[in-house]
Amino acid sequence: MERKQIGNGAYITVLDSQKFNRCRITLHFQFPANREQATAAAVLPLVLERGYADCPDMTELSRRLAKLYGADLAVDNAVNGGNRILTVEIVGICDPFALEGENLTQEYLKIALGVAFDPYLVNGVFDPEAVQIEKATLAQRLEAEINDKRGYCVRQARRKFYGSSKAGIERDGYLEELPALDAAALKRVYDEILRTATVDVMVQGANAQLVEKAVLQRLSSIDRAPAALEPATLMPRQECRHYTETFSDLVQAKLCMLFAASETLNGEKLEANRLAMALFGGSVTSRLFLNVREKQSLCYYCGSSAGVMGGVMMVDSGVEPKNAAKAEQAILHELDQLLHGPITDEELEDCRRGILSGMESVEDTLSGVENWYYMQICRGEQLCSPAESRRRLLAVTKEQVRQVLAGYSLSVSYLVTAKEDAQ
Amino acid sequence: MKTNQMAVKAAEYEIITLPSGLTVQVRPMPGYSSVHAVYGTDFGSIDRFFTVDGKKVVVPEGTAHFLEHKMFESDEGDAFSLYAKTGAQANAFTSFEKTCYIFTATSQIDESLDVLLGMVGKPYFTEQTIAKEQGIIGQEIKMYDDSPDWRMLTESMRCLYSAHPIRDDIAGTVESIAQITPEMLYDCCKAFYRPGSMVLSVAGNVTKEQVLAACARAGLDKPVQQAPKVERLMPADCAGVAQSSSTLYMPVAKPCFALAYKEKPVEFGDTRRAILCDMISELICGGMTPLYRRLYDSGLVNPEFDGDFMSVRGAGCFMFSGESNEPEKVEQMIWDEIERLRREGVDEETFTLCKNQSYGSLITDLGNVEDTAGAMNAAFMKGRTLSDEIAALASLTKQDADEALQTMLLRENCAVVHIYPAEA
Repeated sequence: MERKQIGNGAYITVLDSQKFNRCRITLHFQFPANREQATAAAVLPLVLERGYADCPDMTELSRRLAKLYGADLAVDNAVNGGNRILTVEIVGICDPFALEGENLTQEYLKIALGVAFDPYLVNGVFDPEAVQIEKATLAQRLEAEINDKRGYCVRQARRKFYGSSKAGIERDGYLEELPALDAAALKRVYDEILRTATVDVMVQGANAQLVEKAVLQRLSSIDRAPAALEPATLMPRQECRHYTETFSDLVQAKLCMLFAASETLNGEKLEANRLAMALFGGSVTSRLFLNVREKQSLCYYCGSSAGVMGGVMMVDSGVEPKNAAKAEQAILHELDQLLHGPITDEELEDCRRGILSGMESVEDTLSGVENWYYMQICRGEQLCSPAESRRRLLAVTKEQVRQVLAGYSLSVSYLVTAKEDAQ
Repeated sequence: MKTNQMAVKAAEYEIITLPSGLTVQVRPMPGYSSVHAVYGTDFGSIDRFFTVDGKKVVVPEGTAHFLEHKMFESDEGDAFSLYAKTGAQANAFTSFEKTCYIFTATSQIDESLDVLLGMVGKPYFTEQTIAKEQGIIGQEIKMYDDSPDWRMLTESMRCLYSAHPIRDDIAGTVESIAQITPEMLYDCCKAFYRPGSMVLSVAGNVTKEQVLAACARAGLDKPVQQAPKVERLMPADCAGVAQSSSTLYMPVAKPCFALAYKEKPVEFGDTRRAILCDMISELICGGMTPLYRRLYDSGLVNPEFDGDFMSVRGAGCFMFSGESNEPEKVEQMIWDEIERLRREGVDEETFTLCKNQSYGSLITDLGNVEDTAGAMNAAFMKGRTLSDEIAALASLTKQDADEALQTMLLRENCAVVHIYPAEA
């Protein structure tokens, strides 16, 4: 594995993929979140995914991918603390499995680069009809947000937690801004992303030299000026704010608790954080699973996770509406017990074994390998293999776990519940 | 479609039937670190009526799923805590016609296999442990009650079938699971958790010898003294649909719809028909079709719009579902397209592209430890192997699809379900 700079703010990482029967090429464009451009940045992946200059028609592109034995093309945007990532990825079966001896890898590269760098334009801007259609698609998605109550609760809690900070800028944009967005504005945002983003190309199973050459060729025609990326977010500690939102006919309430981190975790603390999450609520041997779910039957699911770049720890759970307050107290009690009560060797080692096993299986999928390294790139770390992380994890102590957990303080508690059960 | 020898070879794996009746499938995958094991029985939520050694057993809705939860407990403690000692990640799932217990691990594989085979081999139920589980599963049921997709599936099955237990929610209801007794669970175990009705599929960094040794440690290498005689009883269903439409109200932002068609189930081992049915919904409304394009570009559906085929013992259906502000318009367009395809036949090129896509999907499964074990297990339960699937796919023609459309997706076998936003 090697990450190499190939241009101004542009890198290529070649990952071992010999054992797989599929290959994968991904282009990540990371840039600081921008409130004014958020809605355009949310529409952009939908428009890019419809086609590109050499294959402008959406249905024709679907057919081209089907011809390549159902290669998967995905264009997406993701949140990384105060930064956003536009990703173009293509995954498909390796050449030896082709039925007609086709050079599939070469076709994958053409499509990925075409989608990322050569969009279909009409008079120098995106196709207005495509923009109109995808604006409508995004509007539908935003309007349908409440259909998935669990996701809705988490998003509402995040809105309260991050407020107007960069990390809180909506990944999916703002419904009220969609009508005014036009094809020319979208093209300006796209150009700005190509100009200012840090580009990371990840290659698995394709000819890396060919990919590098082709990417460099595309980048050479852009007046590149990569912007400094935002550091990890740290929200100020404050008294916990409680919010309740009600719906008629809701059967199970959703509770999302967000805890602010006191520092940005890196190095050994990252491994301590992994272990802390497994102990608190990230595994079936965790305190939340065993005590809050199994012993007290207070919720069907109740888990914790941490986002280092977002400076947050989240506990989300599905609870009986009448038990919501009790569940919140039980969750806080478990955290308190981990901080001040005993942690047995047995539970610590059970959790450690589970993480070690998970780390070892990271290298069994293309996406697992890529995510492992790209997440490190996103955190601005020196790249280290899963084996190295496993070694560091083995050295984590109970005290380090407690220190990490002590760094989190409850900031927002958001409850989505049934109207008739709300206080 | 040509065949690729590399793909044919990649799809091969060993299948062994032990003297106990247990079927074992092993596919070592060189270079991989993890092992995924699936231990499944062909006992699912629809198996509510059966006889075991002449005794008639009727169990409430949600029993198979309840049993799945309870299998994690034994008189020695719960299986999760045993897995915690091996580092394995374990889980289980219940569908309409099967229940599977799974784990993924990278070390202590022998020990993890012992836990897996031991937990299913030694059922342990008491009134107290059953009562405790009722609370947890009650929460799970409530979670599904809030899911429009789940409610849509259940309501569609209720429209299509008058008596077949596919009408019931897989997890049952809070009331139905309250009726479950230890005796019922022991009857289910006796009938469906015997080695002869189970299959163990293991893929990844593992050898056949390792898996067989684990089976031997669990006593599964010896003949079973007397296998019980089991007969599944399926209530007779109506000829057409039970009801042609239904409307629900839920806290959703926009209307959801489903067009469901009652179909003959795919016979056990009929791989060609199973694969053909999977392709048909793609030929009607997949991303490559003109219908999808018209629906999408006119804003009538979003990318979540989907068509699927499902077949279980005694029941089958096609289902087209999504969200739309104008569900009736979408439904009419689907009906029209099905009629057009029935009249004019499917497009030859689209059919070939669909086959290509399906081939790629089969190959993809073979490169992933979890998908491989899961696919081997699922294929066995349907009476086929992964090689059979590749061969069947290669043999399918456009004529097969055209012929199938003459007898499937008939308007009189269709039911429409709508979910509209409830008042806030």
